Amino acid sequence: MSDPWTDRLSEYVDDEMPPGDRQMFALHLRHCAECTATLIELKRVAVRARALTDREPAADLWPGIAARIGATTPSSGVPVIPVRRRAGGRWSFSIPELAAAAIALMAVSGGAVWLLRPAPASLATTPLPVAPSSPATVTPVPAASRPRTAGYDAAVSDLEQVLNEGRGRLDTATVRVLERNLAAIDSAIAEAQRAVAADSANMYLNSHLAATKRRKLELLRQAASLVTAVS
Amino acid sequence: MLLTAAIALSTLALTTQIDTTVTVARGQRLEANAFGGEIHVTMWSRNAVRVQADPTSRTQVVVSTSGSTVSVRTEGRRGPASAVDLAITVPAWMSLDLSGVYTDVKVEGAKGPVTVETVQGEVSVTGGDGIVSLSSVQGSVDLRGARGRIEVHSVNEDVTVSETTGEIRAETINGEVKLAKVDATALDASTVNGDVTYDGPIHDGGRYSLSSHNGDITIAAAPTTNAVVSVSTFSGDFESEFPVTLTNGRKGRRFDFTLGKGGAQIELESFQGTIRLVRPGSTAMKDDHDHDDDD
Amino acid sequence: MTSLAPGVATLRQEQTGRADADAVDATLAASGDASAFERLYRAHVGRIHSLVRRMLSDQDVDDVAQDIFVRAWQKLGTFRGEAAFGTWLHRLAINVILGRRETLGLRRQRYHEGDAVLETVPARKAQVEMTMDFETAIEQLPDGARQIFVLHDVEGYRHEEIAEMLGLATGTSKSQLHRARMTLRRHLER
Repeated sequence: MSDPWTDRLSEYVDDEMPPGDRQMFALHLRHCAECTATLIELKRVAVRARALTDREPAADLWPGIAARIGATTPSSGVPVIPVRRRAGGRWSFSIPELAAAAIALMAVSGGAVWLLRPAPASLATTPLPVAPSSPATVTPVPAASRPRTAGYDAAVSDLEQVLNEGRGRLDTATVRVLERNLAAIDSAIAEAQRAVAADSANMYLNSHLAATKRRKLELLRQAASLVTAVS
Repeated sequence: MLLTAAIALSTLALTTQIDTTVTVARGQRLEANAFGGEIHVTMWSRNAVRVQADPTSRTQVVVSTSGSTVSVRTEGRRGPASAVDLAITVPAWMSLDLSGVYTDVKVEGAKGPVTVETVQGEVSVTGGDGIVSLSSVQGSVDLRGARGRIEVHSVNEDVTVSETTGEIRAETINGEVKLAKVDATALDASTVNGDVTYDGPIHDGGRYSLSSHNGDITIAAAPTTNAVVSVSTFSGDFESEFPVTLTNGRKGRRFDFTLGKGGAQIELESFQGTIRLVRPGSTAMKDDHDHDDDD
Repeated sequence: MTSLAPGVATLRQEQTGRADADAVDATLAASGDASAFERLYRAHVGRIHSLVRRMLSDQDVDDVAQDIFVRAWQKLGTFRGEAAFGTWLHRLAINVILGRRETLGLRRQRYHEGDAVLETVPARKAQVEMTMDFETAIEQLPDGARQIFVLHDVEGYRHEEIAEMLGLATGTSKSQLHRARMTLRRHLER
């Protein structure tokens, strides 16, 4: 094809031809079947390109990504929150906006576990987060229970361990109340998790799940404080 | 025989009723702790703290003053303390910090900050000004006539706040949160297993958040209310005694609508309960209050 | 707007806007929540991986797709929410793809070779699955023309934007697009 308009057909398809040229080309099209046919084909190519569907990779790339960003591969709905070390050897962490106050434990070098809690005289359930500018009192947990901690699951596990080790110091009625309410919260968490799994993009469900998990941590922290208070 | 008499006299001395009054200066605070029993605080116009108690052979009552704090506490003579009731009279301005384990706490007529923490005990406070923080694990928490920054928590029982003004946070896990005749400029009321009810003015610029997992949410709004209302649920229903016009359609299980000109922000969330917007004095509100009788 | 009369309104199950969920997850992920980032990954990996595959043909597509998400994690703090997260991620992906030096070198070489390369792309027999046939044809295009075609016709960028991304003249972008289309038209099923 040696038609001078051939190389400008895409301009016409994309509506980028100056108005004067466009008029002249339209006149040309009336008499040029080849240009008309090619024009139709080029439009089909453009339309076909826009209609391409995306495909997921054959292999799940997430494990590789998780490893490179330093996150363990969490189970569904469990946040993994990395701990960052600040200058001067003090540890701090940032808390996801919607899961604020969810972490009460953090790991420091050497494997010790520090339990962040209010001053011993107070059993107040003031929720975290702890702002870097207002560090909370830290009290070392006995050596027998010093797992490394990171993330919500680990925080829950550590607090449950404190409660389990100290439950003998609480009366059975209090233990029953705590267990009953922890079970109620666990039931609510499970229901929320199932809902999120079915509709992961739902903001309300995600924030409700985060808030319910926070309630569990608050109750566990309160229970751990009770254990300490009566020891 | 003499030894037996001596022991008897000593025991009597230990168990003799305490009635001690300590002069205090404005600004001093009271810290009272009883392992078990009741702490009952009332007010008088004197700048003094009076402590009345009946110690037992196992438990003594220690009253002391240190700096800005008047301390009243029960102590086991040998081993854990037993239940002892403390009746304490204080000046109304006094800041109160009351705590215990198997301890009911009752405060009447406070006009200063009040903090109460107990494990197995009921908390009942009338009054309070400034920071009012009440907490029980196995016990209901009832606050009336307070003003300021209010935090009331229970775990296994109901939380009730009435005739109270200020910024309010009320939480429980296995109980109801009831807010009646409350004038809140900011409100955060939540429970897991239980209903939440709010009956009070809704101020322009105020923020009101009511949430439950398994329970119903009921909020009363006057016809002149100006608020943007956000309703979120997973499998619950929404009922309204107001005609509402949705401003953002229904995004998933959340939708918004506006009452009047907007102004306040109301967030109503229940995972699987019914969310109700009612008019003051509605039978729905009365039904929520009345059904307590069925418990 | 929808009106509800007083009474009972049962909320039905509906889909939430993707952008809202992405904004929430991006905020969470920026604070270190890897689970939120995983949700973003799963929501967008199809589009990003397809973009990489089309732009780079079969050159280390999985590795490049991983690089893109790792870079996104590192750069989350720069996501301001003014555009949708998907848009932000897409631009970041393009930058990663174009930043691969081998690709840049190849693209420049292809532009110099020009038309002759395009003419050697064989026409393929029509296959049952038109989608794959057309996609395969795209992958067979020379690198430069392929990337311009993907950026313009598949991803919707303007020639001015493409020219800036690739360091070309706008006219070159237009002519390369045209030549790619002229080649691909033979691979459309009739």
